[in-house]
Amino acid sequence: MDPAAIRIDGITKRFGRINAVKDLDLEVKPGEILGFLGLNGSGKTTTIRILLDLLRPTAGRAFLLGHDCQREGIRVRSRIGYLPGAMGMYGDMTGEALLGLLARLQGRPVDPERRRSLQETLGLSTADLSRRVREYSGGMKRKLGLIQAFQSDPELLILDEPTEGLDPLMQESFHAILAQARGRGATVFMSSHVLSEVERICDRIALLREGRLALCDSVERVLRLAPRRVRVSFGSDVEPPSAAPPPGARWTGIGPRAWSLEVEGPLGPVIASLSGLPILDIEVHEPRLDDVIRGYYLGVRS
Amino acid sequence: MKGPLTLISHSARRVRTLVLVMGLVLASFQIVLNLVAASIHRSNMFDQIGALLPGFLQQMTSFVAIMSFAGVVCAGYFHPAVMGCLVGLMIALATETASEVETGFIDLVLARPVARHWLVTRSIVLLAAATLLLLGAMLLGTLTGVRWLAPEGATGPTPRLLASLAANLGALVLSWGALALAVGVISRRRAVAGSIMGVAAFCAFLLDYLARLWKPLGSIAWISPFRYYSPMELIMGQPLPTRHLWVLGGVTLSGFVIAYVLCARRDV
Repeated sequence: MDPAAIRIDGITKRFGRINAVKDLDLEVKPGEILGFLGLNGSGKTTTIRILLDLLRPTAGRAFLLGHDCQREGIRVRSRIGYLPGAMGMYGDMTGEALLGLLARLQGRPVDPERRRSLQETLGLSTADLSRRVREYSGGMKRKLGLIQAFQSDPELLILDEPTEGLDPLMQESFHAILAQARGRGATVFMSSHVLSEVERICDRIALLREGRLALCDSVERVLRLAPRRVRVSFGSDVEPPSAAPPPGARWTGIGPRAWSLEVEGPLGPVIASLSGLPILDIEVHEPRLDDVIRGYYLGVRS
Repeated sequence: MKGPLTLISHSARRVRTLVLVMGLVLASFQIVLNLVAASIHRSNMFDQIGALLPGFLQQMTSFVAIMSFAGVVCAGYFHPAVMGCLVGLMIALATETASEVETGFIDLVLARPVARHWLVTRSIVLLAAATLLLLGAMLLGTLTGVRWLAPEGATGPTPRLLASLAANLGALVLSWGALALAVGVISRRRAVAGSIMGVAAFCAFLLDYLARLWKPLGSIAWISPFRYYSPMELIMGQPLPTRHLWVLGGVTLSGFVIAYVLCARRDV
């Protein structure tokens, strides 16, 4: 039995002359939440669609819950919840009918209590579900998409930009649903452009750039790739520093009353180097995921 | 097995109104033709109309065959409007997969334990069921009309003739359904698939029609499935050519097989 919930072995996908995904290797462990990042057109959705056997890879193989997603996909897809980036729905169906149809196609019984709980959390009432989908707003369609993905309590969730179109309160609700799913041991593979969300809920991130895996690590370790920003304020004017900054530090701004630095690693040597100066305050800004990821997006980091 | 059956019943539910309304219209049309034929028969107009026709038309045995009560009643099985409706409906049913790809609904379906070949099987089941239902409605309309509206002394079409016409017409429209299915499963837009098949059907119909009037076109008219539907010969009493059924059956089977292969290999 494959210990990985998702294993991607050397997947390449070409559309004519365009290489959408290039030799991608990736593994998602059971129970973890992996954020799948990348700019538009970097190959995220293509990879997700290969996992669901909607697209056929040009080379390589992918496995879901230990089964080849192409040859044995049928055996495993009843255990997967999928939220596509763009939900295609029949506008003349009611939300209730659509959820019923998708549950029957899933082939797994849906606990009515569970669905009710999802409805309540996402604020989609029974009256809303009795309306035709064409009357839904974009946010309501997204909520319906989330319910259909989570309603059969799947072991593996593949979510393509799950919070797109949701208001901040509903994003919170989604995080709560995700936490519940995680509590039950579900694995989550989600693409997102909302880095604050990824930083908050994901264990690891994988970043695609031009179809290649540019970064794959835990959020904690990725955050360490970015320097902390330190601002030192002085009670009186000081002369500019005469010596070079301690190893791992770099001046970013020097004034008579305040110095700014970027520090990679421990702060001790920096603080020690400031001894004897009339320090009024030291502000330390922890790095954000945006700081690192933007560097990868721009190609500054590799 | 539950998933595929769910898919079939879902699709059947979506098209049932269209198919039922069309069945009703076609059955009504057969009854109207009975009324027309009865009216002409009562006023003894068949002979008069025949006499008014130019000589070359009078010499066409097929034209003589239709100038009778049974001939007019049977016209409902080869009237261009009827054939257009049936072929059009087949194209609409067969391109459902293209529509699902276009809307993205297919992502939700195939992300579940539904094999791709079930999309094709679903369409085949719908095509066969719709063909049977519509031809059944037409036969019912014809038989009802003949039973209740035929005037004294008028001879209606024999059950054998009606069965032959329905079988040949059924094979023809099913072959168009199969061809549309093969195109529909590789298309990303229903309108594109439907337009391609609509134009193809119109051209094929025109080719067959012109080839019947202008013999040299006969050398290429064999490519038109309409070539293998011969209602006039059937009305004149000839037996249903089994070759025609074999050809149309072959086209249908090929269309289905191609659809299975293409659907299995395509990127959705």
